[in-house]
Amino acid sequence: MLKRTGWTACVWLAPKRLPSNLMVLPRNGLLKALHLPFWGGVFFLLLQSFGIHWAHAASPDNSLKAIETADTVVPDYVPPRPGSYELMRIMTAADGEVLDVDGKPRHLSEFTGGKVTLLSFIYSTCADPNGCPYAYQVFHNLKNRLAKEPRLHGKVRLVSLSFDPKRDTPEMLRLYAGDNALPNQPVQWDFLTTASYKELMPILDSFGQDVFIELDPVTQQPLGTLNHVLKVFLIDRERVVREIYTTVYLQPDVTYNDILTLLIEQGIELP
Amino acid sequence: MTKCNKRNSIKTLAAAISAAVALAVTALPATSIADETSCSPFTPLIKGQEDFVYVWTLGVEGLGDGSDKLVTVDVNPKSKNYGKVINSLSVGGRNEAHHIGLSDDRRYVWGGGLDSSHIFIFDVATDPAKPKLVKVIKDFVEKSGGIVGPHTFYAAPGRMIITGLSNNQDHGGVTAHVIYNNKGDYIKTVQVPTGEVGGAMGDGYNYDVAINPRKNAMLSTSFTGWNNYMMDLGKMVKDPEAMKHFGNTSVMWDFKTMKPIKVFSTPGAPLEARWNWGKGDDFAVTTTALTSNIWVFKQDDKKEWQAHNVGTIGNPADIPLPVDISMAADGKAMWINTFMDGTTRFWDFSNPMKPKEVYTKKIGSQVNMVSQSYDGKRVYYTSSLLGNWDKKGKDDEQFLKMYNWDGKDLKLGFEIDFYKEKLGRAHHMKFQARNMNTLRPLHAEADRLDSVRLASTETPAK
Repeated sequence: MLKRTGWTACVWLAPKRLPSNLMVLPRNGLLKALHLPFWGGVFFLLLQSFGIHWAHAASPDNSLKAIETADTVVPDYVPPRPGSYELMRIMTAADGEVLDVDGKPRHLSEFTGGKVTLLSFIYSTCADPNGCPYAYQVFHNLKNRLAKEPRLHGKVRLVSLSFDPKRDTPEMLRLYAGDNALPNQPVQWDFLTTASYKELMPILDSFGQDVFIELDPVTQQPLGTLNHVLKVFLIDRERVVREIYTTVYLQPDVTYNDILTLLIEQGIELP
Repeated sequence: MTKCNKRNSIKTLAAAISAAVALAVTALPATSIADETSCSPFTPLIKGQEDFVYVWTLGVEGLGDGSDKLVTVDVNPKSKNYGKVINSLSVGGRNEAHHIGLSDDRRYVWGGGLDSSHIFIFDVATDPAKPKLVKVIKDFVEKSGGIVGPHTFYAAPGRMIITGLSNNQDHGGVTAHVIYNNKGDYIKTVQVPTGEVGGAMGDGYNYDVAINPRKNAMLSTSFTGWNNYMMDLGKMVKDPEAMKHFGNTSVMWDFKTMKPIKVFSTPGAPLEARWNWGKGDDFAVTTTALTSNIWVFKQDDKKEWQAHNVGTIGNPADIPLPVDISMAADGKAMWINTFMDGTTRFWDFSNPMKPKEVYTKKIGSQVNMVSQSYDGKRVYYTSSLLGNWDKKGKDDEQFLKMYNWDGKDLKLGFEIDFYKEKLGRAHHMKFQARNMNTLRPLHAEADRLDSVRLASTETPAK
C-alpha cells in the first residue's frame, strides 16, 4: 500500500499505537493541507530535508501575520460570566516524563498541579494557521491579559508540550519560546518536550491527542508534517481537566472566563 | 415568542392512528438520526468518498445468532467488496439497539440499547473494516441517577453527550442528558427542564441534541419514555393514556454552561435536531413525528431564539410519520423520511422559512433512517424504527439501500436484505474512512473556514 511512487505515506501516532499503522495520503493533499502552492510546498519540504526548520524561517510571531490577514470570525455570542457556571470534571490530567528547555528530566505533573493550567500540544515547525500557530496566538493573548491583573500573577500557568521529540529538542524549544520561557514572569509559560516517542505516547494516549506523521514513501523517513486536530486542555490545580478546546471552540474570551471561573472556584477574589 | 401551528392536535392524531391500526396498517412514529452532515461539529468529517457504513442492527430471535450487532458494509465503488457486508460484530443478546455516535476523534463508535440501557463502545480506527468491541457500560442507570434509554451519542471535546429517553422511577419520559468522558467514565447528569424557562413550560422529555459552537447553542428535542417505546405499537395507539405521554417541547441550551435558555412548544414529538452548517444563516430544524410539522429555530433581531412552524409534511391525516431527516452540508436542502408510506422526500430549504417539497420516492414498505454523504451525492436508507414498532408480515422489510443522487432523481446503487443475510433489523448508520488521515474538520461554518480563525482580541471578557 505504501510503495506507490508519488504518494506520501503517513504514520498515525494514535494512542496505544506506535508508528506501525501506515496509511497513504496523496501528495497534493499534503500540500493543500499546508495551505502551500505546489512549488511553495516543495520549497517547504526542501527546507525540512535540509534541517532548516520552519520555526526559523517563520517564528510563531511571524506566522501570526498570516493569520491576522485572513478573514476573522468573532464567535457570535457573549461568553458566560465568570463564576456563573461550573466546568465539568472531565478526567485526571496524565503524568509522564518530559524535558524542560534546559534538557532536565521532569514530570509533567510538576507543570499541571497547584495552578490553573492551560496545556497545548504543539510542534515548532507547524505551519497550519488553524493549528499550533493559532494556539500560540491564543496563549500569547491570554498571557498578556493575565499579566495586566496583578492579583492573578502566579496563579495561572501556560504549557506548550511538543509532540515532535525528534526535532523539538530542548534547545530548539528554547529558540521557539524566545522570551516567553524566561523565569520569574507574572504568567509562567513552560515549553516542554520528551526524550522520545516512548515517553510521549502514554501522554498522548491519556489526553486523547491524535497525531499523524507524514512519511516519504521511498525512504520511510518523516517529511516533517504532523497532522493533528488542535486540542487545548484547561486543568485545575487538582490536576483535573475541566475543559477541552478544539479548533472550533478555542476562543480567547471564553478561555479567559473559564480560567477566572476556576480561580473563583478556588476562592480567589478577582479584580 | 413561539409560533405554533395547532392544526394537528395530538388528540386528533391519536384517533387517526387508532383508526389506521384498526385497518391493519401497522406501524407508527419513530426515532432516528444519522449521516455525515449530522455529525457533531467537533468530529472530523469524511468530505470525500466514505469507505464503510456501520449499521447498528437489532437482533431478531431465531434469525442468525439473534443478537444485536454492528454490521460493516463496504461502500467504496472501487472496492471488490462494494455493496457487501464485510463484517458483523455481535454484542451478545438483544438490547433494543438504536442509535450510534462517533467520538470527537472518530476513533470510536458508541452504541446504545434502549431497553437494557447498556452502552457499547467500538474501536473503529485500529481497523475500520473490522470494528472491535472494547468496552461495555452496564451501570449507566446507576451512574446517571436513574436515567434509562441512552439514545443520542453526540461528541463534545473529550466527552460524549448522551440523551436519555426515560427514567427508572416511572419509566415515563422525564429524563436528562448524561455526559461521559472519552474513556467511558461518567461525568455528569443534566436534567431536562420541567418548569418554565423563557416563557414556556418544559415537560422534561428528551430525544436528540445538536450543537452550534459559533452560537454556543445546543438544541434538544423530545420523544417518549420506556413505557411507550417498548410497548407493542398496536397496543399503544389504542391506549389513550399512553398516547398522552409524548414530548411536546424543544429546548435551546447554553452549550457552555449546559443551562436551558428557552423552552419551545413544539407539539407532537419533535425528533431529529440538526443545525445548518451553510454560510451565514445559523438555524436549526426538527420535525414532529405525530403532527408532521417542520420547525425552524432562529435568532431574532434581538438575538433571542424563536421557533417557527414552517411547513407540513405530507397529509397529517394520512399519518405519514416523519422520522429521520438529513440536511445538506450547505443547508439548502433536506431529506425527510416518512415511515408509514416508506417514502423519502426532498425539501428545498433555500428559504428555510418557506421550505418546499420538490421530490419524493418510495424506498420500501417502511423507511426510517437517511444518511447522506457530505457532498450529498450518495444517500443511504435503513428500515427499522423500533423492535416493537416495525411493520408486521411482508411489510417488515429490513434493508440498507444506497442511492446516487444527481439533483433530480435517486438511482439505486445497491441494496442489502438484512433478513436474507440473517442480520436483523437495520437501524442507525455512521460512515467511516479507511484512511483516518483523510478526515477533515467541519469547523464552525463548513468550508468557509479554510483560512478563517476566530478573532483573538485584547478586549476584556464580559
